[in-house]
Amino acid sequence: MTMRRRLPAQFAMYAVLVLLAAMWLYPIGVAIYKSVSVGGWHNYAVVLHHPTFSYWNAVGNSFLMAGLTAVVIMIISSLGGYAFATMEFRGKNVIYNALLACLAVPIAALITPLFFSINSIGLRDTYLGVIIPLIAFNVLMMLMMMRNHFDSLPRELIEAATLDGCGTFRIYRQVLMPLSGSALATVGVLSFVYSWNEYLLPNLLLKTPDKFPVTVAISLLQFDRMSQEQISQLYAGLVLMTIPSVLVYLFSQRYLRAGVAAGAVKS
Amino acid sequence: MAGARRRLTPYLYVLPIVAISGVLIYLSIGFTAWASLTDWNGLRRMDFVGLQNYATLLADRTFWIALRNNLLFLVVTVSVQAALGLLVAVITKERLRGSNVFKAIFFLPIAMAPAIIATVFKYMFEANYGSLNETLRALKIIGPHQAVEWLGSDLGVWSIIAINIFQWMGFSMMVYYSGLMAIPDELYEAAMIDGAGWWRRLTGITIPSLRGTTNVLVVLGIVGSLKTFDIVWLTTGGGPGVSTHFLSTFLYQTRSNREAGYASTIGMVILLIAFVLSMLQIKLANRQK
Repeated sequence: MTMRRRLPAQFAMYAVLVLLAAMWLYPIGVAIYKSVSVGGWHNYAVVLHHPTFSYWNAVGNSFLMAGLTAVVIMIISSLGGYAFATMEFRGKNVIYNALLACLAVPIAALITPLFFSINSIGLRDTYLGVIIPLIAFNVLMMLMMMRNHFDSLPRELIEAATLDGCGTFRIYRQVLMPLSGSALATVGVLSFVYSWNEYLLPNLLLKTPDKFPVTVAISLLQFDRMSQEQISQLYAGLVLMTIPSVLVYLFSQRYLRAGVAAGAVKS
Repeated sequence: MAGARRRLTPYLYVLPIVAISGVLIYLSIGFTAWASLTDWNGLRRMDFVGLQNYATLLADRTFWIALRNNLLFLVVTVSVQAALGLLVAVITKERLRGSNVFKAIFFLPIAMAPAIIATVFKYMFEANYGSLNETLRALKIIGPHQAVEWLGSDLGVWSIIAINIFQWMGFSMMVYYSGLMAIPDELYEAAMIDGAGWWRRLTGITIPSLRGTTNVLVVLGIVGSLKTFDIVWLTTGGGPGVSTHFLSTFLYQTRSNREAGYASTIGMVILLIAFVLSMLQIKLANRQK
């Protein structure tokens, strides 16, 4: 009896999944098909040796900015999360809530003052000028995740280490960090992906094409009136520019999924 | 001496975050609040004009169009993403063969840059030579010379909504999936013994048990709606005319037109909405604990 009822149900479930998967794969299929439809695979060579657009340069810029941002966020969010989770100090809750209140603040709302301040300290059109606001806006969620992580570790660990005469920094480095590998990895991967994907900040703050990350460098392959051949080349460029994201996704799926779920469930 | 040092220690640990994030964001907010009361042009001129910008904003047609688009986007993306995400999560939980492949397909767009996805969709949606219309013509769904204006003033917002669903449905799926895992099997077993069918179990057990998850997705969706920029700016740019502007692109456009004071006023409105939502989010999180 169960067999007879399960088969049509399974069929219906597969039908839904296949239909949705087809819709999700369509744009990806279009991008790949279009990238070779006029000019063939040669388009990829054209994009890699483009006069005004350098693929490796753009990927390198993205890597540099996202990588540095992720490293700094891992350090400062774990330090901050550690203090908020395990120490008592005056103003703790006020500071924590004031920081988390900015979780929902969109970068777009503050582009005018951001541009003004980055420009006036002379960091416009520099990597650092993009990295600082990237850290500022992405670190808050990571702080929350690190604090939740440290909250979940047993208090006895810290108490025992304190009785042994360990200072706060030694507890952080030698007791807690070894237990925080996957939390840190999650924070690092999420920060990296979010920073890699950022378009508004680099677009606002950079003007030299040599410094553009991939998200902004797309514009270098777009022109006012594009021929079919140029559109194909643009698609080839888009496919190439997605490869690093897909690689990061494949190698860090576990952390990415964990982070995405944790950010939603705990926030 | 040692006591004072110990009392100061915690502040050293939170100093980097406060110095980078707190200072930059709160200074920017303060600056925006002040600039919103001036006729600043982004360069030198910056005269105090009181609430004049706010009055102008309330009378500005573009503002209401943008607000309407944000709202429409919010309602449709949140509900469609939640419905599809829940559907896929429920199906993949049945452990059908290959369900991990499907999950991977739906989750992949989250790792991709919205700017790249937007550009792919922009050319795909193009009316004359775009792939979508070509496919529809090949399938005889539209006439051989028909050109649907996917990014025109009628459908533009809907196309932007579709792009967002493409990118974020997998997120709802993932979150619901972890929620589903937390529902005890005994609940389902008891219901099966009582003879409850698939639909009864879904509406009687699954959906009520996931209420907390759904609430979080709604709040994140509202926040996400305010943050949406790339997929609008890189597809329609707010056009044709001002028909597909969102609050964020309206602000960006205004700032590029050297109306920095007015842009700051739009920023203040976005911030106000964002803060109210944060409060809601924190309240919700506390209630869950």
